[in-house]
Amino acid sequence: MSAIQILNLRKMYGPLAAVDDFSLEVPAGSVYGLLGPNGAGKTTTFKCMLGLLRPTSGEVLYDGKPLVPQTFERIAYVPERSVLYEWMTVAEHIEMTRRAFSRFDPARARELLVQFGVEERRRARALSKGMRTAVMVALAFARNAEILLLDEPTGGLDPVNQRHVLSLMINEAAKGNSVLFSSHQIGQVERAAERIAVMDHGRLVLEGLVDDLKADRKIVEGVFPDVSYTLDGIANDPRVTHADRTERIVRLLVNGGADEIASRLARAGATGVRVLDLNLEDIFLYAVSPETATADVVAKESSS
Amino acid sequence: MAAVLTVDPRSGVPIYLQIIEQIKRSVALGVLQVGEQLPTVKQLAIDLTVNPNTVARAYRELERDAVIETAPGRGSFVRGDGMAQSPRAAAADIARTAFDAALREAKSVGLTRDEAQELIEAALDRWFQE
Repeated sequence: MSAIQILNLRKMYGPLAAVDDFSLEVPAGSVYGLLGPNGAGKTTTFKCMLGLLRPTSGEVLYDGKPLVPQTFERIAYVPERSVLYEWMTVAEHIEMTRRAFSRFDPARARELLVQFGVEERRRARALSKGMRTAVMVALAFARNAEILLLDEPTGGLDPVNQRHVLSLMINEAAKGNSVLFSSHQIGQVERAAERIAVMDHGRLVLEGLVDDLKADRKIVEGVFPDVSYTLDGIANDPRVTHADRTERIVRLLVNGGADEIASRLARAGATGVRVLDLNLEDIFLYAVSPETATADVVAKESSS
Repeated sequence: MAAVLTVDPRSGVPIYLQIIEQIKRSVALGVLQVGEQLPTVKQLAIDLTVNPNTVARAYRELERDAVIETAPGRGSFVRGDGMAQSPRAAAADIARTAFDAALREAKSVGLTRDEAQELIEAALDRWFQE
């Protein structure tokens, strides 16, 4: 059974669906990345998962059961925006967390804060954005929680501390715990996440194992000797999900069967047929904005 | 061991395939010796900052390819029995992949078999001169 199940979640604001029939499952012992443009509905999803917002319909299950008060001990949450009390010191936040959660390990929180370079005596209002993130991350990872919901857990952090947060996430997965995190830094998701979901306008537009998405999704490119060419129906192959045609160059986004489609393109008379790999950023852009994606892939290929 | 492995998560090549290729290469080059112990899945995941399930997938495929074997409770080791791929066979595998890619490119830009052969002969003279 999956540690986290989101089932047909919908959150309406008046006539507008912030989250629209969204489902995903996070297995135990895994880091799961949630990607999406600004306003896609990621933060609303996190809030519905925690009962901070009431879903219009659908449900969220932890180990198959709906959220009950006792579940909160098992879930640690890092919100996108600081929820620290401005007038309180970091040490006071540790004390407050200790009183609220019986499994919280204050010594571990202090150890993490030292690693992040945040002084306990500082008041929250004196902390930079990155330091606030570090405090919330340290409090969350010292909770001994089995489920970590992290909404932009590296916001404002420098590259060294960003990597440190990723290592903490990997450690949790290695212990059998489950991490769901969102980030605009696709490179981080690409490194640490086993699976990803891409949200756009509240809907799930892409889901899968990062490694499988990369193995299946390729660009097949071919150059025709003159402008009078036909694709012999190749573009209608169900595995071709997007086609860009300039005067003589054809670029096909395929989902599986890249080598076969490359051979067909060559038989149709194309020369210089090649199969281009896509990284997660390319795959993400194709899912939410195909036009931007093609420009991006082409620019990258031309410069390399 | 961990020091010889790196992954490039930004590459379009799946991470588990990168791990498989590098371990095969290390065996071919003798950097990893027969019988040598590999890091645990958990340790390698932490060292590379990648998901443990991704490393586990690479190890499973390496077991299937008879490159490594896993003894429950003891860890994973480079295989030394008759089933294991010899370092020379592993080296040939690496070269074959490179030749395939190069010849595929040559064909796709319109070279004939004879022209490709000429290039290969010239390359052989350059790299294998006595």
